[in-house]
Amino acid sequence: MSTELCWKRLRKEADTLKPRHLSELLADPQRFDRLSVRHDGLLLDFSRQRLTTETLEQLIDLAEAAELRPAIEALLDGAPVNLTEQRAALHTALRAPEGTKLKLDGKDVIAGVQQTLQAMERLVAQLHRGQWRGYAGEAIDTVVNIGVGGSDLGPLMACQALEEFTPDSARGIDLHFVSSMDGSQLSGLLSWLNPATTLFVISSKSFTTIDTLANAATARQWLVDASGLDAEVINAHHFIGITANPTKASQWGIPTSNQLLFWDWTGGRYSLWSGIGLPIALAIGMSGFRQLLAGAHSMDRHFREAPFTGNLPVLLALVGIWNINLLDIHAHAILPYDGRLARLPAYLEQLEMESNGKSVRIDGSDCSERTCPVLWGEIGPNAQHAFYQLLHQGTEQVMCDFIVPARRYVGQSQPLQEQHRLALANCLAQARVLALGDKALSEEQTRDAPPWKRYRGNQPSTAILLDELTPYSLGSLIALYEHKVYVQSVIWGINPFDQWGVELGKKMATELLEALEGDADPARFDCATRGLLERINRLGKAAEPRKG
Amino acid sequence: MKITIWGDELAGWVASAQLAAFGNDIIKAGSGMLPAQSSIRVEPDLLPQLQSARSAGRLISADERDPFEAEIHWLALAPGEFEEASAILAQLRARHQGPLLVINQSNFGTGASDLLQARLDTTLQQHVICLPDMLQEGSAIQQFAHPQVWLLGCEDEPARQKLSALLRPFSRDIVEIRLMTRREAEFTKFAITGMLALRLGYINELAMLADHIGVDIEVVRDGMGSDRRVGSHYLAPGCGFGGEHFTQYIEGLAGLLSEARGSTLLETVLTENERHKELPFRKLWRHYRCNVQGRRIAVWGLAFKPGVATIDNAPSLRTVNALLAQGAIVQLHDPEAIEEFRTQFGEHPQLVYCDDQYAAIEGADALILLTAWPQYWSPDYNLLHQRMHEPVIIDGRNVFEPQLLRDLGFVYYGVGR
Repeated sequence: MSTELCWKRLRKEADTLKPRHLSELLADPQRFDRLSVRHDGLLLDFSRQRLTTETLEQLIDLAEAAELRPAIEALLDGAPVNLTEQRAALHTALRAPEGTKLKLDGKDVIAGVQQTLQAMERLVAQLHRGQWRGYAGEAIDTVVNIGVGGSDLGPLMACQALEEFTPDSARGIDLHFVSSMDGSQLSGLLSWLNPATTLFVISSKSFTTIDTLANAATARQWLVDASGLDAEVINAHHFIGITANPTKASQWGIPTSNQLLFWDWTGGRYSLWSGIGLPIALAIGMSGFRQLLAGAHSMDRHFREAPFTGNLPVLLALVGIWNINLLDIHAHAILPYDGRLARLPAYLEQLEMESNGKSVRIDGSDCSERTCPVLWGEIGPNAQHAFYQLLHQGTEQVMCDFIVPARRYVGQSQPLQEQHRLALANCLAQARVLALGDKALSEEQTRDAPPWKRYRGNQPSTAILLDELTPYSLGSLIALYEHKVYVQSVIWGINPFDQWGVELGKKMATELLEALEGDADPARFDCATRGLLERINRLGKAAEPRKG
Repeated sequence: MKITIWGDELAGWVASAQLAAFGNDIIKAGSGMLPAQSSIRVEPDLLPQLQSARSAGRLISADERDPFEAEIHWLALAPGEFEEASAILAQLRARHQGPLLVINQSNFGTGASDLLQARLDTTLQQHVICLPDMLQEGSAIQQFAHPQVWLLGCEDEPARQKLSALLRPFSRDIVEIRLMTRREAEFTKFAITGMLALRLGYINELAMLADHIGVDIEVVRDGMGSDRRVGSHYLAPGCGFGGEHFTQYIEGLAGLLSEARGSTLLETVLTENERHKELPFRKLWRHYRCNVQGRRIAVWGLAFKPGVATIDNAPSLRTVNALLAQGAIVQLHDPEAIEEFRTQFGEHPQLVYCDDQYAAIEGADALILLTAWPQYWSPDYNLLHQRMHEPVIIDGRNVFEPQLLRDLGFVYYGVGR
């Protein structure tokens, strides 16, 4: 069957399903059993999606027609799936167990990955043992990760999610994350950190990212000033570089022994499994980090091996395709009902929107279908007090992912366990009300309600239920979304591994920096830019201290 | 009177010697009939007194006579031996249907004597008295024989009278007896130990500051000591205090303070003390511009204090670990503790164990002194100079004269000078 035919059938299916309300579909008592799938401590429930098992079958036909099966093999086997940059996207190799074989251009990829893990283990052990010494000979007790995008969001999200898995050996190290180009996070930290015991991890795939290098330069100057030592000594004892560009890292001054390397086949937003994950390993120990990798690897194998009818990432992606391309829903909310996952929405914003925010196909033609929706999110219970009003009574259709662990606080205080039950109750209640609307109540309860107290319902959602949140299950969860993104890109025929859209702005910023420093002719900019430049430069001059 | 003395703490040996000298029959229940620790063996007058008691037949071992038959028992066990004490009392209770007097001098912490008392039966006149150990090493016999004050944790008048009778020979010129509950006596001991730790913490903190502002802490300390309100005890700056008991004791008190009061005062002292143990390493690190990879470093003194063969919580542990982690070759010497060190660290490619202190400095890029053993105070400086590769001396106990060493061509680093 051709993809055109599949789309045609799906559009027909959509025409029959669009008028049907979720309350009608949920009347089928078998629905949960038919539309929920499980793998390894992760359950996906699609029964609150506006589709049927027949719809799923048709979506799977579309996936087959789009040659998803070979595309998955290509991804996992290291084919150059990133066509615009002619390279593989092998984040899955980063979590392959030792002894696995995978060659890329004749080189054993897994051996290199294991080497980096060993180097990481060495650094982590030295820091945890209190034997990484700063310039004054004191043990480093503070690590500041400087990075942006994939070099920040992944480690930050995972460290926050897994804080309670910190082993005793790691308690001596405080972690901080700095990303913002303007130095506001960094300057705040530097005002109270002890330079003698602070180590900076400079994470940058290219080691040319201006945001990161600007922060790194400020940090180094702070250390040079505090220690009275030259930059060479400071570089050796206060900086670790994590990069795919060792030449640039060395030029900046990071000694090779302090470098953790990854490869150009690791995309920034897919890099938390590589050396970029060093802060995670510092927070939860190497064994915790390896658990995270193992959980992701389990999802990789499932992705490759499971039939599409029970394949979690494939189904999650296809349900998204159904919502976006057939039900015309272009907003997607990520709603974790667990405060530990506070940074997950920001992480997934990058993963999904930087990957699939494309409108040109791999062959250069324009996309005929809509692609990645606008994605945002917040800790669910907090969002209830913020934007849920729009979900319940606004004019926009929104698809939601409810993410929640079933078990938490086991063996801890009763009040805490009650708090988790409260969060679970709210999660279940919101998903139910979004789906059913007024129909969640009895006829009498709603009959006399004024229009502004009515609930339309019919907002589709997926529930992602984790048995519990652990390094392993978090690894699985992240890999689930990574593969979902890939599956959607295959259906849409786009490249999820490049990000050319962010390049032009960077180039333009260089020119404008010159203009702000007075070295460029403002006449070459548009009138809006000119107007703002003039005003900024005038205010800047007025603020300069008067001479004489 | 017939008295059984339990335990190998200094207090137990002193009590054995002194009580035997005044006609009591002592059964010494412990690991031997003479102290094993050299710091106790060197206690002035102790060994001769023990030997003469032994030859007079007034000091016998628990092998020669049943230690449980006595009605008076003196506990001088180590702080970690509460369970043993408790077992001894359980035995005594089982054996005796009449009066018993137990004098507890062990540092078990506040409340321990009450727990021991609970093992006995007061209706049978079986009582525990807490007599905190206030002896200072070096003058312990003198202090036992001529105490200035007794802190007595005793809650039964006949028992107190019995103890007074026992201690009569030593109380002729006593100034005061401070009578209090057992719990108060223990807490007072606790408080004194904490005070001493604070003094050490304070002088070490001042020493660090002295480093920065260029004054000699030894001169300052001398001046401080001349003020009678301050006095000069426990004011010797150095690279941190160690030892199993002292540290355990302060940790216990710090934990109690932070739990009950949210106070971090003693915790800070402990944390700073740990940092202080690395002071010699830090001086070396700065001297060699943050790189000691492949350097030969001599370490004199591994024991936590002179006179003992133990390395519990000793600054040498942290120093050697830091040196090993940085890739230095470490040449070790200690007159007594080297074997315990070897047991803990084993054979290691970066460690050289030396029997002779001058063998340890062969080809060294620096000498670090961590324990003030007498034999280190006046070394053969010419030999040091000849044998060392770089004449760098880091004196963790301020035993050397800085000016003399500098005149002799050494680079000298002390603590706060």
